[in-house]
Amino acid sequence: MDYDVLVVGSGIAGMESAIKLGDMGKKVLMVEREGSVGGRVILLSKVFPTLDCASCITTPRMAASIHHDNITPWTYSEVEAIRRNPDGSFKVTVQRKARYVDEAACTGCQLCEPACTVAVPDEFNYDLIARRAAYIPFPQAVPKKAVIQREGTSPCTDTCPAGIKAHGYVSLTRSGKYEEAFQLILEATPLVGTLGRACYAPCEGECTRGDLEGTLPIRRIKRFVADRHYASYDGPNVTPDEPNGKAVAIVGSGPAGLTAAWQLARKGYRVKIFEADKEPGGFLRYALPTYRLPQEVVAQDIANVTALGVEIAVNAPVQDLDALKLDGFDAVLLATGTPLSTSMGVPGEQMKGVLGGLDFLRDVRHGTVPEMRGKKVVIVGGGNVAMDAARTSRRLGAQETLVAYRRGREEMPAHKAEVDDAEAEGVKFQFLVAPVEVVGDASGKVTGLRCQRMELGQPDASGRRRPQPVPGSDFVIPCDVVVAAIGMSPDTAMFTRLLSLGEGRRIKVDAKTLQTEVPYIFAAGDVVTGPSDITQAVGHGRRAAHFIDRWLQDQPMDGFFALDDRLAVIDKAKVMARQKSFSHRDPVTLSLQHEVAPQDFHEIEPALTEEEALRGAGSCLDCGVCSECGQCVAVCPPDAIHLDAKPETFELEVGAVVLATGFKLFDAALKEDYGFGKYPNVITATQMDRQLAPTRPFNNILRPSDGRVPDRIAYVSCVGSRDKTVGNPLCSKICCMYTAKQNQLIMGALPLADVSVHYMDVRAAGKRYEEFYEQAKAMGANYIKGRVSKITELENGNLILRYEDIDQGGAITEAEYDLVVLAVGVQPNHEAEKLFPDETLHLDDFFFVNEQNDDLSPGETNLPGVFVAGAASGAKDIVDSILHAGSAVAQAASHLEKASAKKVSV
Amino acid sequence: MNRTMPRDVREVIREEPLMHRPILEAVAAGPMTVPQIAEAIGCPPREVLYWVMGMRRYGKLVTSVDPDDDGYYTFTAVDGGVPS
Repeated sequence: MDYDVLVVGSGIAGMESAIKLGDMGKKVLMVEREGSVGGRVILLSKVFPTLDCASCITTPRMAASIHHDNITPWTYSEVEAIRRNPDGSFKVTVQRKARYVDEAACTGCQLCEPACTVAVPDEFNYDLIARRAAYIPFPQAVPKKAVIQREGTSPCTDTCPAGIKAHGYVSLTRSGKYEEAFQLILEATPLVGTLGRACYAPCEGECTRGDLEGTLPIRRIKRFVADRHYASYDGPNVTPDEPNGKAVAIVGSGPAGLTAAWQLARKGYRVKIFEADKEPGGFLRYALPTYRLPQEVVAQDIANVTALGVEIAVNAPVQDLDALKLDGFDAVLLATGTPLSTSMGVPGEQMKGVLGGLDFLRDVRHGTVPEMRGKKVVIVGGGNVAMDAARTSRRLGAQETLVAYRRGREEMPAHKAEVDDAEAEGVKFQFLVAPVEVVGDASGKVTGLRCQRMELGQPDASGRRRPQPVPGSDFVIPCDVVVAAIGMSPDTAMFTRLLSLGEGRRIKVDAKTLQTEVPYIFAAGDVVTGPSDITQAVGHGRRAAHFIDRWLQDQPMDGFFALDDRLAVIDKAKVMARQKSFSHRDPVTLSLQHEVAPQDFHEIEPALTEEEALRGAGSCLDCGVCSECGQCVAVCPPDAIHLDAKPETFELEVGAVVLATGFKLFDAALKEDYGFGKYPNVITATQMDRQLAPTRPFNNILRPSDGRVPDRIAYVSCVGSRDKTVGNPLCSKICCMYTAKQNQLIMGALPLADVSVHYMDVRAAGKRYEEFYEQAKAMGANYIKGRVSKITELENGNLILRYEDIDQGGAITEAEYDLVVLAVGVQPNHEAEKLFPDETLHLDDFFFVNEQNDDLSPGETNLPGVFVAGAASGAKDIVDSILHAGSAVAQAASHLEKASAKKVSV
Repeated sequence: MNRTMPRDVREVIREEPLMHRPILEAVAAGPMTVPQIAEAIGCPPREVLYWVMGMRRYGKLVTSVDPDDDGYYTFTAVDGGVPS
């Protein structure tokens, strides 16, 4: 047996049960779903009828329940199931949710809270004020340990192949922390400016706001923070770790190689990049036209890498990997991409005027491209390189540019925006045609491209419908230049002495670690995957750097949390369900002004203004709640915050169960005539109790509509209790007395305020309750007998109560107040009955946990060994809850003794 | 007063970080009440109350000791009104 008793819940009844059982020598597991014990009592201002401070009477019990030798308190945990064993004991399943905070290390300093960039309603103040995603539930919390509220990985972050925390940099931008946003992206890659322009932004495709008015401009926010950084700093503003004495050679300086170099240099490695071309950058430098990605941006991003001491050797092709090892490099990363254009494989391809797609773009960068002005150009292919080549040819003055593609528009692998932009710049398209021969004149110059018409058959391995030739459909497209942009392949011939190649002459690696069959050689990016895109290559480079580090440090080859083993993506439906309504927000959209015949290579896409960046970021729905911006981690003195923590589930054996799951409060919005949720100055009594508490959300009692101190305050009793219209005919027992309590406290806090109570009758059944009620009246509370039928709002936010005044002969009367407090009733909490998957916990007629014989055996349920304590079995005040817990404790102890005796006799 | 339904509380509160700057810029000129801030930044007072109370809670604003004759407290930036 792991524990004698499981106590579910740590409100006043749960704590009392645990402490008493512990005092009896029973081993108790007390499970609380919130981050602190204490339940609702600790949130009260004072208690009736003594007006003792709620904190003063509760905190000693909270401390005792946490520090008791016989009590194991699991806060921020959930009981998932309770199953009966054959011997009458129980097997319980408990999940300890991840706090993302090391409880042993957290000092409760609360520095994480103001650093956090995500604001959410504070449920411990009944939504009167904001808290942060990083929070300590309330000032008297026990244990006083922070919780990071993570409900899943936000879809934007989850979908990023580079593991960039998109939600994080959006929330930082929203908070005006632009440099911090830039630094967060730098944790993934040095190519911030590049990705801010040239990433295809899968994050935006997953943005939940996209289901409303439209996605956030996530990629352009990245560009915004990059531009802000580069306007202020010469380098990355990053200090690498101390040199660790190890060296890594990286072959290739494209996005994978640069990212890997950046990651390794930050960890203290000496890194040298070997680049075959005359400038570093790979595809960024030679394949992406400058109207999409200006060269100065590439240079700025590469300068981040060199600022950390990374050496880049250009015009330095590597032929001999062994030589690198002999030169003192402890590991080698191959990131050479796919630099070779794929041949069309048709006759005439050697003619003058036929170019490979990548070769064409590279020649443009080198300034060696043939004259295009006035020429007719045919681009063969439907990918992004084809679009880049087509749009580049327009800028070089081509008279006509035609893209010939063997499938249809819908099957084009190019991103839709690229296709649309090309079309807007005057590029023409001919679909369902495939080249069969390049036609030329006697001098060997291209004069046309013979094509064959195609039709689409069944889907192939890529899922796209396979093109099939239409016999006898040949025709010639007259042209002067043919650019074959039908594919790219790696140049890996020089590595075959050591390494095996796979399909497409790609380097074979372990898919997780990117390690090749030669342990010191890793490979990443397109040379492994085949043609992909920049962001995927960045992710690969990041992965390779992680595992190179693990291998060189002789660590287990795991722990790549940036992309592996992340918290599951949050369900968008759950995000949308958090709000009852969404107001419209105009999305920040991109409207490009394309020229049909563009004349130069200037950057097309405008930068976001600061106003646009803030407006865009301000639309974020905080899907995962915590944005992973990392600000809490940065400020935490004991380094207690670990966002890669995981929940843990335990199976435990217990002898008995005490259910102390408490009650729920009536949702005042269901009484529509009273306007809660519609009129700001209609609040609930629980909200008023928070306003009266020493740890109150405001500096005084204020009306929510405008922050003014109220002069005339009305209470409406029996809201959601003794009311068949809302399905609850029961009296909630506590409302009359907490109303009398709040009346007295308000009159103490606001001596000039008038307080009225609209009631049906007052039930003051308890020790000194009647005297307490009379005391409220004696202090000046005006009790008006009669049900309130309707509340309406005036222009100034004041409220008109319409009611029947019984003491005045039943006259229908109206009175004006500037704050109305609804004394909401108690309702059953349906959590307890869900805990028993194999048997049924009986409920009473009003859905509270049923006691078999509440006259003679209070606390005993229909399930042997399962007992109920406190308000889970019906509305109770604090005194009655404690008394009832005592009964449940006695029942549980008796059950354990009987079970023990039975075992002995057996 | 705007008679339409108030915005969802979660939506209003989510915007608090975004509103720090305009609110701090508004109170840089001197202590202001919730209605005065609301007028300065063009937002409903109800929403401004959420934002200024969040800012007060996390150390960006302080309130006056006593309310003015109309029953309103004033708010001042903790660091002298310089937006972060």
